[in-house]
Amino acid sequence: MTDSDLNHSAVPDPAMMEPAIADHLQEESTSQMLAEALAKPNRSTSHWRRAARRFVRDPLPMAALTFLILLVGLALFAPLVTTHEPNHQILQDRFSGMSTDHWLGTDNLGRDTWSRLIYGARISLLITLSVGFFAVILAVPIGLLSGFYSGKFDVAIMRLTDAMLSVPPLVLALAIAGILGPGTRNLIIALTVMMVPGLVRLVRGQALAAREEMYIDASRSIGTPARVIVFRRVLPHVVSPLLVQVSIVLGTILVVEASLSYLGLGDPPPDPTWGNMLQDGFKQMANDARLILVPAIAIGLATLAFNVVGDGVRDALYGTGVARRRRSDILGTTGTMFGLKSIKPDLDVLERISDPDAETQTEAETADDGRVEKADVAARANGATRVHAQAASAPWSEPNDPATVLKIRDLSLEFETNNGMVEVLDKVNLEVRRGEILGLVGESGCGKTVTSQSILRLLPTPPARITGGEILFEGRDVLRMSAKELQSIRGREISMIFQDPMASLNPAYTIGNQIVEAQRIHRDVSKAAAETRAEELLDLVGIPDARDRLDDYPHMFSGGMRQRALIAMALANDPKLLIADEPTTALDVTVQAQIIELISRLREEFSMSVLFVTHDLGVVQDLCDRVAVMYAGQVVETASAAQVFTAPQHPYTSALLRSRPTIGAEIGHLPSIAGLVPTAANMPEGCRFHTRCDFATDACTATAVPILRIGSDQAVRCIRHGEIDLSQHPDERPDLEVARP
Amino acid sequence: MLQLVGRRLLLLIPTLILVTFGVFMLITLVPGDPATTLAGGENATPEQIEKVRTQLGLDDPLVVQYGRWVSDAVRLDFGESLTSGQDVTSEIQRRLPVTLSIVVGSIVIGLLIGIPLGLLAGARQGGWIDRFLLALTSIGLAIPNFVLAILFINVFAVNLGWVNPIGFDNLVGEDGLQPGAWLKSLALPALALGIGVAARLARQVRTGVVDTMNEPYIRTAWAKGCSPRTVVGKHVFKNAAMPTVTVAGLLIGGLIGGTVIIESIFSANGVGQYLVNGINAGDLPVIQGVVVMFVLAFAIINIAVDIMYGWLNPKVQVS
Repeated sequence: MTDSDLNHSAVPDPAMMEPAIADHLQEESTSQMLAEALAKPNRSTSHWRRAARRFVRDPLPMAALTFLILLVGLALFAPLVTTHEPNHQILQDRFSGMSTDHWLGTDNLGRDTWSRLIYGARISLLITLSVGFFAVILAVPIGLLSGFYSGKFDVAIMRLTDAMLSVPPLVLALAIAGILGPGTRNLIIALTVMMVPGLVRLVRGQALAAREEMYIDASRSIGTPARVIVFRRVLPHVVSPLLVQVSIVLGTILVVEASLSYLGLGDPPPDPTWGNMLQDGFKQMANDARLILVPAIAIGLATLAFNVVGDGVRDALYGTGVARRRRSDILGTTGTMFGLKSIKPDLDVLERISDPDAETQTEAETADDGRVEKADVAARANGATRVHAQAASAPWSEPNDPATVLKIRDLSLEFETNNGMVEVLDKVNLEVRRGEILGLVGESGCGKTVTSQSILRLLPTPPARITGGEILFEGRDVLRMSAKELQSIRGREISMIFQDPMASLNPAYTIGNQIVEAQRIHRDVSKAAAETRAEELLDLVGIPDARDRLDDYPHMFSGGMRQRALIAMALANDPKLLIADEPTTALDVTVQAQIIELISRLREEFSMSVLFVTHDLGVVQDLCDRVAVMYAGQVVETASAAQVFTAPQHPYTSALLRSRPTIGAEIGHLPSIAGLVPTAANMPEGCRFHTRCDFATDACTATAVPILRIGSDQAVRCIRHGEIDLSQHPDERPDLEVARP
Repeated sequence: MLQLVGRRLLLLIPTLILVTFGVFMLITLVPGDPATTLAGGENATPEQIEKVRTQLGLDDPLVVQYGRWVSDAVRLDFGESLTSGQDVTSEIQRRLPVTLSIVVGSIVIGLLIGIPLGLLAGARQGGWIDRFLLALTSIGLAIPNFVLAILFINVFAVNLGWVNPIGFDNLVGEDGLQPGAWLKSLALPALALGIGVAARLARQVRTGVVDTMNEPYIRTAWAKGCSPRTVVGKHVFKNAAMPTVTVAGLLIGGLIGGTVIIESIFSANGVGQYLVNGINAGDLPVIQGVVVMFVLAFAIINIAVDIMYGWLNPKVQVS
């Protein structure tokens, strides 16, 4: 894609050029596009190889497949692996138990059960596999043609499959097989008719989707015959969903086959089908339960094996659901119920350390691996050496200072990834004072959202794991709260609004229901009173016709309105602290300004504190009293908003400020900080910003930089603080060129 | 909502026309001379063959036959059974309570077992409960209902003697209400059919829950201070139920098929067994009548499922 896109944008208006050159250029970009598009199906070779590798690595489906192959082998070589004719009656051996002669015993007519089972497998597998085969042979061309040439043929096929699918499948097969009469061939016909319409619909859907894709259009425009397009380009699209579907329905075919042959529609007795064996066993049940169990177990195991192989094929081709979800969890955007519970084991470290008996052991550990953070935690937990701890980190007030609402101390957090644990937060210190708005800023991926979500313990654990520190809300450590305590804080004392208002309201309940719920979880109010309050709240956040809109569902609200509703919900219980995690990022600019203004106004009215997470410095300037700047999982600077905007102390803060777009600046020169935020797994040694810092020296790369308190209300994490002048920025240095588009 | 139902009913008409045509055309699948085969094959007397020929009007052109058949069928008149001579529709009506009991009973069992298990597994995704339930539902899906039925009869009826292995007592018997006897005869068939439903539902609900748990609005619910019970039981459940409801039609189609074989195993005299008997006797009017009735029931259930989906998903109502 990118190649052709670039090519397009690089081509000036062709009308302005010499015609020949213009044609040539256009041709080139088209042919490139085509080449790329046509190459797409070829990528599937490695796709198949990868899928096959995934399948082989999955032990359960492989075991099931091995079982089925073994079963097919036994069935194929039935005469070799059995010692008796399946229909040979030895009347003196009736109901004989398992023996070396009769491995699974004999039935009421003295026929060898093992032999009948294996010969029965022949019929069951023959029917199952040939139905799968014939259904595909029929469904693929019909579905392809129907999907590729829409029009009358397609309409006719759709109506026909509609009609066939409106008959319950087993009833359809039963009626056809019943009219045709018993026998293997008729069963195959009936079951194929039953399977075809579903597969036709699947193939048609895929063909339809493939038709929409660019490369089909491209290939059509250069005059490739339709027949070639269908079989060379569309068919590959169809193959993997079809393969998944077929491997999943094989189990169903086997079951229906067994049902119908049980009902007497398969090969008639005495032929050894599994259905007939079950029928015989049913009649002899009072005499010998073994005669039921043998075919029952065989049918169950074969179905299970087909199902497991089917699931395995699906997982191999589309990736396991579990693995996909895992990855999305790591992005830190999810909340699971474990947020309430499994954080406890992670605090084992803390528990152990705070236990006086374990103290010596902790100290030994600290000495061994030199991990200072544990010493800090230990010291703090003991209480006696608090002074020392304060020197190490940079707290500004006592934990129980009534002027402080929220105090995060040395919060460290790791994420579990495929490559082991990676550190995401490194001893984060923050405090939010009563009535103030603290702005938490930084580029994407610097840990600000993770910090904000860990306050209410909304991060799923695993993959998140808090490894140290405390989160003190009015002096109580949120991390040590019981599930009950935590629930009573959430939404009552601390409320939160999120980045994505479109998806943050439950689509299945009305706005009113959700605001009423927020109140009634925490306070004993009548439904009527809560509804009245909900109306007031909606009114307060500027939603017109509040009374009527209570009964609306979220999808009837615009994005800005939804964020307002979410704010109303967050304020329902007069919280002391509102955490706003990039609440305006997903909204358009005019709406952003309204929301910012609303939060600013409500902060006064509700006299609450706000922790405002954002990457937008403009917002910070308008709204915040104080600012904490985060970079790569660390707080690098804290100061009052005025200080930050007039005299930033950290090179990163200063770079952020310079990268703000300004009206009237030279067009085409959008300043940005060169380089990217290092990922948690590849954290640079020493100062984490040195790779992108204009002022970095060798000393910056040597050791980790502690945060230093530099004023009554200011701290910075930079060893060159004091020696560099950030106002004299080497903007024009050629080796530090700012990124240009 | 009414519009939705109306539209679905309208869409049903072309489908039903095709289905009835297909069902009628089953006669062309009858091997050999239809009259002879349906009268019992080579052993049939010329009188019997002639009787079948007149009853089905087989001498008329196929179009005329179809016209006659379909004009009766729209009045739910499927003619008389070739073997017993009884009116097919009233026979179906008489047996309907048995089939309804078994289908509804198995749905109830499926819901009662499947939904809580699915919620539990989804909420504990990846935990040992989840893994255990995954294994359990795999087994539940792998054992066909008729095999389960036979095993149940063997254990509970033959070995333990708790219930009668065959026959079915209706809720309304000759001496009035008999809920005890009804439940007793319903228990095994409904369980045999319901366990598969439960396994499928549990799987579906689990997937729905796992997907829903990752939605931002669930994070909002946690942040509000909802208890795990409220989060799962209220916020997750209704959303997780949506994809589950869309497969309900499929499940019920399977149930209708399942009841045919379950009834015949338990010798419960329902519509399903009527169909099996009809097939064994080559009784064409019976087969046609039952198939059309099943299709009709299936279609109505699917519309009911759509209505339920509309209730669960508020977005459907406005569009």
